[in-house]
Amino acid sequence: MTRVKICGLMEEQHVKAASQADAIGFVFAPSKRRVSIERAQELSRLANNDMQRIGVFVNASYEEIENAVKTVPLTMVQLHGDEPDELIQRIEVPVIQAFSIRTPDDVEKLNNSIADYILVDAPGTDYRGGSGHVFDWSLLENVNLDHSRLILAGGLDRDNVQAAISQTTPFMVDVSSGVETDGRKDEAKIQQFILQAKGDSMERTKEKTIDPVGFFGRYGGQFVPETLMKAVKELEAAYKDAKNDAEFQKEYHHYLKEYVGREQPLTFAARMTEAWGGPKIYLKREDLNHTGAHKVNNAIGQALLAQRMGKRKIVAETGAGQHGVATATICALFDLDCVVFMGEEDIKRQQLNVFRMKLLGARVESVSKGSGTLKDAVNEALRYWVTNVEDTHYLIGSALGPHPFPTMVRDFQSVIGKETKRQILDKEGRLPDAIVACVGGGSNAIGMFHPFVDDEKVRLIGAEAAGEGVDTERHAATLTKGSEGVLHGAMMKLLQDDAGQVQEAHSISAGLDYPGIGPEHAHLADSGRVTYQAITDDEALASVIEMSRLEGIIPALESAHAIAEAKKQAQSMTADELLVICVSGRGDKDMATYAEKMEGLS
Amino acid sequence: MKRLAELKQAGHKAFVAYIMAGDGGIEKLGEQIRHLQERGVTAIEVGIPFSDPVADGPTIEAAGNRALSEGITLEKVLDEMQRFDFEVKVPLIIMTYLNPVIRFGAERFTQEAKKAGASGVIIPDLPFEHRQLIEPFAKQQELVLIQLVTLTTIDSRLEEILKQAEGFVYAVTVTGITGSRDELAEEVGAFTRKVRELSPVPVYAGFGISKESHVEMLRDDVDGFIVGSAIVQAFHEGRIEDVEPLIDAVTAPHSV
Repeated sequence: MTRVKICGLMEEQHVKAASQADAIGFVFAPSKRRVSIERAQELSRLANNDMQRIGVFVNASYEEIENAVKTVPLTMVQLHGDEPDELIQRIEVPVIQAFSIRTPDDVEKLNNSIADYILVDAPGTDYRGGSGHVFDWSLLENVNLDHSRLILAGGLDRDNVQAAISQTTPFMVDVSSGVETDGRKDEAKIQQFILQAKGDSMERTKEKTIDPVGFFGRYGGQFVPETLMKAVKELEAAYKDAKNDAEFQKEYHHYLKEYVGREQPLTFAARMTEAWGGPKIYLKREDLNHTGAHKVNNAIGQALLAQRMGKRKIVAETGAGQHGVATATICALFDLDCVVFMGEEDIKRQQLNVFRMKLLGARVESVSKGSGTLKDAVNEALRYWVTNVEDTHYLIGSALGPHPFPTMVRDFQSVIGKETKRQILDKEGRLPDAIVACVGGGSNAIGMFHPFVDDEKVRLIGAEAAGEGVDTERHAATLTKGSEGVLHGAMMKLLQDDAGQVQEAHSISAGLDYPGIGPEHAHLADSGRVTYQAITDDEALASVIEMSRLEGIIPALESAHAIAEAKKQAQSMTADELLVICVSGRGDKDMATYAEKMEGLS
Repeated sequence: MKRLAELKQAGHKAFVAYIMAGDGGIEKLGEQIRHLQERGVTAIEVGIPFSDPVADGPTIEAAGNRALSEGITLEKVLDEMQRFDFEVKVPLIIMTYLNPVIRFGAERFTQEAKKAGASGVIIPDLPFEHRQLIEPFAKQQELVLIQLVTLTTIDSRLEEILKQAEGFVYAVTVTGITGSRDELAEEVGAFTRKVRELSPVPVYAGFGISKESHVEMLRDDVDGFIVGSAIVQAFHEGRIEDVEPLIDAVTAPHSV
């Protein structure tokens, strides 16, 4: 992205207004914007640490320049006179040499400069150092010029800066009089200029962040209270370190193999294939993991990371209880203190998992606020984390939350997709034509999809919960019906009302009734790489019966959404195609619901 | 907001009251603001209810839920403020979570907040890193975006935040969520002293401030106090006079 320099600053409030720029300039040469070295030093203190501080000189002595560099201190020097190359060479910080451009011949001079950067301006009138007059940018087209060292100045303002950038693609744009009113800098114009130069809309602003790693397109970020920022930053650093540490990865994979029982089979579903009459169906068997679902893949990774950070207390949220059980299990294994927040409504629906957690030694906290489901459990877990942040790790179970959680959870779950890729190549000698996975927050789906995202011929389909139907008020179809918003630390897609209040989600499946969707899914939906379809409670229940009877595998209610969507996909696929379904968990935990909803079966 | 700096220069302490807009009905908003300014508070934070207030404890969450059940929205609060038929004599600061602002539109929000007479905005889930989502629009309307610093804010970050601080700095005095507490941790005094040394603007202590003993403990280390849950609960229970000694304890001239 093109950098922005605001030049000729003289007053405090203007330095502050320029805080989103990349560089500020102080003029030490004769000019109506001239400041003393002392004044520049005072102003410089108000700027961010990473701001470039550039001093502008015209035919100054080396001693004068060096004094300013040391005193302010300056990070760059900009020369507008007839400075000899010997002087430029002696200056320790990077040097910008300025040129006035009138004709194509003047452009030739630029390439002979030994300075680090070349600044082009319209010819000055009163003082050397820029006139504010517009020069003809087209002079810079079609000439042999290294644009990565080009700084564009001269007559730029908020209205023309975008055009100037797209025409000349400079390293930086430099503005002074263009952000002034009646000869004095104007805070609003400074801000508007920066916005225009860096993208004029909210949309573009969102994409810019100090650490772009924390965003997927416009989604993601770290929208948490200040008390949590230290913990979030520490986690970011610790995860980055662990990710590249072979020992950590070895330990993680050791537990996946010896404790979870990986790798899990990619089972050919012969009877489903026959019954559906379309593509060959393969099932990725996350239901076979210890604890009964994919959640444990992530719980092990994060629990190892927490210990690496010296934290021995864990807080988690859970919806269906699968993540809570996985967390309680790992905490028992590693002797960690464990608190799990779970909605009151979910506790009723998932009694078996509540008992399992308690048996494993975890404390289960019932959340009666709101709808008493996953969203409310996350709220309470976040509040608990804010209060106990110094010694507690929040073990988030889905690809949600502030950066680095969505990335980290995805990475720990990517074992699903990596194994699947290897297995399908072994069995079929090629990649599948389509893969279906269910999405609530989206962790099993992102783990399955991620290793295939760059394989553009593989269609990726997420199945979200339509509850009683997307046209009713009782659904959890975030991507079908949601809009952009911030919840639980990230910009994502949300079910919300016109006033920005987050709405309650409904699904027969306790693991899918979350009103948001992980930021990476929101981005994959926008980009069109993954398509998302909504499956109703009834369709999911029908798939539970169908798979149980055809394959002898009783799926979890969540996974049943993927199966129902796969059946629809299969209708338009042919016998020589391959379709993979991620069976994210087994149905043991859902027996009470199945018994209640399928009375006719008894 | 200038008067906050003047107050500090004159050696007086500020009392900032937080209220939940629309708790008890939107018509209570003007009533409560008028009452508080007559009782001598320095500034008022007008809280906007949100469905998922993760920085708040049970008192403010419950007040927010009551306001939501009254149908209160950010837009309704800003409209109501524009209709006030009395003179607002103290700075009003809108305190809201980020999502209602995003939904309303950041630029539109700052324009309407300005029209509503607000001087500043506090968004507890908008960290310093992401302030550009709001700050450029706030600047255009000359609204200050108040920054929060906490006991867990590391020193280098504290310096960065304070460099940019305008209006006042919100020094969070507990590691936790909002709500009344019996005691504040010992380290709070050292923390607020550090913040005050570095801050170009007044430093106000908030979260957990509910007693005169808290005020006495921190009086010499801050420029003012922010009281939320205690006021919200007192208004809800119709006994705001119970909070008045606390206002007086902060604002009365203090002999050392």
